[in-house]
Amino acid sequence: MLFISLAWRNVWRNRRRSLLTVMAIGLGLAFNVFLRGITDGWHDEMVDNSVRAEVGHVQIHRAQYHDEPSVSKTLPDAGRVERVIRELPGVVGCSFRVIGSGLASTADNSSGVEVMGIDPAQEQSVTTIQHAIVKGAYLSQNGQRPILLGESLATRLKSSLGDKVVLMVQAADGSMGAQLFRLTGIFRSGAPELDGGVAYILRSDAQTLFSLGDRVTEAVLLLSSSRQVPQVVEALHHNLTGDDIEILPWWEVEPFIKQFIQIDDAFFYVIALIFFVVISIGILNTLTMSIFERTREFGVMMALGTRPVQIVRLVVNEAIALGLVGAVVGDTLGSAATLFFAKHGINLGAVKAGVAATGITSSVVYTQLTAANLIYSTIAVFIVVLAVALYPAVRASHLKPVEAIRYV
Amino acid sequence: MALVELINVSRTYHDHVDVPALKQVTLSLEKGAFAAVTGPSGSGKSTLLNVLGGIDRPDEGKIQVAGVDLTDTPANQLADFRLRRIGFVFQAFNLLPVLSVEENLEFVAALQAMPKLSRQQRARELLEAVGMAELRGKRPNDLSGGQQQRVAVLRAIMTEPAIVLADEPTANLDSANASLLLDMMERMNQEKGITFLFSTHDPQVMERARRLIRLKDGAVVADEIVRVSGLAST
Repeated sequence: MLFISLAWRNVWRNRRRSLLTVMAIGLGLAFNVFLRGITDGWHDEMVDNSVRAEVGHVQIHRAQYHDEPSVSKTLPDAGRVERVIRELPGVVGCSFRVIGSGLASTADNSSGVEVMGIDPAQEQSVTTIQHAIVKGAYLSQNGQRPILLGESLATRLKSSLGDKVVLMVQAADGSMGAQLFRLTGIFRSGAPELDGGVAYILRSDAQTLFSLGDRVTEAVLLLSSSRQVPQVVEALHHNLTGDDIEILPWWEVEPFIKQFIQIDDAFFYVIALIFFVVISIGILNTLTMSIFERTREFGVMMALGTRPVQIVRLVVNEAIALGLVGAVVGDTLGSAATLFFAKHGINLGAVKAGVAATGITSSVVYTQLTAANLIYSTIAVFIVVLAVALYPAVRASHLKPVEAIRYV
Repeated sequence: MALVELINVSRTYHDHVDVPALKQVTLSLEKGAFAAVTGPSGSGKSTLLNVLGGIDRPDEGKIQVAGVDLTDTPANQLADFRLRRIGFVFQAFNLLPVLSVEENLEFVAALQAMPKLSRQQRARELLEAVGMAELRGKRPNDLSGGQQQRVAVLRAIMTEPAIVLADEPTANLDSANASLLLDMMERMNQEKGITFLFSTHDPQVMERARRLIRLKDGAVVADEIVRVSGLAST
């Protein structure tokens, strides 16, 4: 207690210098918290966009489907899979799909497409495709074999609402399947691979087209939070053990996003490191000056019987005091800024093209404040503070009392 | 057995040239002494007190203080020795500026892990005994030089060390304050039996000391009992 009280008072002996140091720590930490908040918000939005566009949080297929997709690799015992999914906590939506490839043709043109057979109601619970309709309407069971095309695909096929579109596919049994559809909706998701290459049809039509009976090729799950993915994947593995299936989290389905996040995180850590180096120089300067000015005092303290290790403790306590006040300032400012932009968002319209390349369709990014962000940033500050304090602390503890007392 | 014993102690400072500060000094000091080391500047007075107090190490010789052999004692044990056996009074007072008068007195007691209430009570008793109770909450910078030095003496005796080493304690004080300080230390010596060893040029201190050890060029040239029990010897 003695050295804590003494350290606190020593810190405030030179109020101006200490305040400058505290502000350096505080602003550095605040920037770090805010930058992490932007990064987290950005990453979450990327993941969310990808998940809600098509991928879902978790996908279930027959084993080996992801490596070599084929419409003939249908999901074994989809009924059992559905029952297991319905009992899992955290699952907010599930869509059973038929996915295959084929050729879409109109009177004017044709193009290779990914045919996605969906149950409109189920798909609504997982993806946002129904909100991406820019012309016409979302799929419905109206008996006229409706088809949705992405905007750029529709343009390529030179088709308009109401036009006929023929899908030709190789069915699961190896035969050729062909059906006539009517273009009832055009969507614009913002994701080029969807808008330019996917055709949505009713699942029942797809099952007929691909000669699948009532079988499906994949189940896609939406969870209440992406943080639940590992637990849900583990629970699925536990409950569906022994079945010839694969259970994939989103980052295995879309490894690009995961890799992008990892690279982006690496950049963040480099920037954070630069800030912490700047902070550490400020703290080192303050402590070194403070110790230099108090050389005589340390000599007296040692003459009175203070042990070298107690001198180290005193200097480290002073650094911790600076770090503590800096952390309060930094966490407060950082949290306030992050929470503000979590509500109002940051408009990145000026760099929209670059933003779209990362898979984010909105030009507004909402920051995200997490406990982990605050805790890790604050711990990093204290690690820096302690590391930087050690040198001046050890130097002070090695002073020779008789020389230090004479120091002017 | 003597409280302090030095046998053939030498100390040389190695700067650009070797400067011998103590040369083969041998002396002893009894418990309850009120003694002064005198001599011209550079004669080795402060060095003698420093090696006795364990804040400097001799190059050769043997030093024993209050039963502790200081020869080759590790730094931590030396710190412990200073904490429990030695009280220092410096020429420049050297109170800790961020602590109040009372906290300055408590500092050494706190290092000794004396309970808060006990050390507070002891500090207040000491301050009261010298009529400084009302200054206990003041910071050193709010005190006069004389007051600061009296607080420094109280700090030195706070934990009842075996010996108080006072290096030129009156050098920064006027004559009246120096006299007050010496009165206080003499009273403590006589009433509580605390051993005092001064290094000084000050005639006032020399007049009060019962034993005078004269150094010249690092060697003891005279060592005499000049008074007995507060009375000048005849």
